[in-house]
Amino acid sequence: MTSVWEKLTKIDRRVIYFMLLVVIVVPLIFPFRLKPKPMPPVEKLFNYIDTIPEDKCLVVSVDYSPDTEAELHPMSIALLRHAFARHKKVGVLCMSLLGLGLAQDALTTVTNEFNSRAMSNADSIVYGRDYVFWGWQQPPLVPILGMGENIASVFPLDYYGYRTDSLPIMKKIKNYNDVAILVSIAGSAVPFWYITYAQTSFGVRIGAGSTAVQAADFYPYLNSGQVTGMMSGMKGGAEYEELVEERCNIFGRRKATDAMSSQTAAHIWIMITIIIGNIGYFAMRRRKK
Amino acid sequence: MKVRLPLFLVLITGILGALPFIIPHSIAQNFDNEFRNTVIRIIGAFSLVLGVGSIIRHHTYKITHKREHWQYSYVLLISLLISAVIGLFGGIDANGWLPTRIGSFNFDIQTLFTYIEVPLGATMFAMLAFFMASAAYRAFRARTFEATLLLIAAFIMMLGSVPLSNYIFPKLPSFAEWILTVPNTAAKRGMGFGISLGTLATSLKIILGIERGWLGGTK
Repeated sequence: MTSVWEKLTKIDRRVIYFMLLVVIVVPLIFPFRLKPKPMPPVEKLFNYIDTIPEDKCLVVSVDYSPDTEAELHPMSIALLRHAFARHKKVGVLCMSLLGLGLAQDALTTVTNEFNSRAMSNADSIVYGRDYVFWGWQQPPLVPILGMGENIASVFPLDYYGYRTDSLPIMKKIKNYNDVAILVSIAGSAVPFWYITYAQTSFGVRIGAGSTAVQAADFYPYLNSGQVTGMMSGMKGGAEYEELVEERCNIFGRRKATDAMSSQTAAHIWIMITIIIGNIGYFAMRRRKK
Repeated sequence: MKVRLPLFLVLITGILGALPFIIPHSIAQNFDNEFRNTVIRIIGAFSLVLGVGSIIRHHTYKITHKREHWQYSYVLLISLLISAVIGLFGGIDANGWLPTRIGSFNFDIQTLFTYIEVPLGATMFAMLAFFMASAAYRAFRARTFEATLLLIAAFIMMLGSVPLSNYIFPKLPSFAEWILTVPNTAAKRGMGFGISLGTLATSLKIILGIERGWLGGTK
């Protein structure tokens, strides 16, 4: 007959799955909001974007696909809210083909939010004047290096098929010299390509948004100053949302912050299962001795 | 010829790809610009055709020879055809010449992406959480000193990456940040040097034709 301790080390995986499902779903239905405290890498990114001079722009590279959408999409939305709230010019591009639809979704969501509140044309966010969506270009080395020379020649047509050199915003954005910071949001190695090629060759500042599992890879670059600031995982997105709401008074749905309650519960459940497993393991080891 | 030509091309393009980084002269830079902006783009376009052609051929073969799970190949080919036609002729915001709306029912490319591609992709990734939870329960045992250190670090990171820790242990997020900034960075830098040197050596071996595995075949 199996002892209680042995049972603790052999909990059926279906029980673990079911409990994880419960602890993820219940906080999504009944969320409890936990105020995130922005960490230095997120704050650095926010502060730098906040002080972008008038003649420079922010470039957001949407380099993730739907599999990491839940974790990374709130970052794109928060960045765009911040930039538009501070009237910064924004250029958007994608290194992932599947990022196109997500970038389009983020732009539509944020521009609709701002335009529904706008009182005049000057308050509105207008395509071609306040932002541009260059689209996707293959292979990645072509746009990453080519944008250092001439962005309009790399993207002759934008995502919607307009000639990029006919857009008013492009009169002020010629190449990386006009880019204050390029933030690459990715669940892959794309930000490293920007660091290796765009920053090394042209000196453009790089920011990063990454999945939590990948965040550790960016810290050497953050320490060396090659990455100006970064958001890591859903928590990074929630921290940026917090800063945007607190300092820019921009209120909108905070998907990352809302999901933090679910993530917290899931982390705690996983920790509990690990503790249970270890209690069983040590009790059995003592018995054997 | 089948071996020498690819080796020669790799030698030339490998050298031409590296030289502009160390020769700032305008001839080298202009050549590099032209090479990147025109030649690589054309090759990229061909690779797209090759990729689509290859996937169609592979799945057609599976269907005709009734290989395992051949039924799913129909799903793939039909999805490929439908999304290609809608994407090419339906326009981005349903503004192409192909109608992508029947009454209130939209099926433009952005709608297909938002309501099919995004949930499918998110579902695949979300399933990882369940496998990770089960694996963590089974594998995370404090059997040795090193395993105990790993366990403690994992606990700190798991707690530090949720806002709850601000309420329970206010200094824990900063400590988690310190783990990432100091010990993690030290280890990553060491690994980075090793990987970079390895990449450099392998690249040189490929450019000089010493490493020929990428050619395929055994002769």
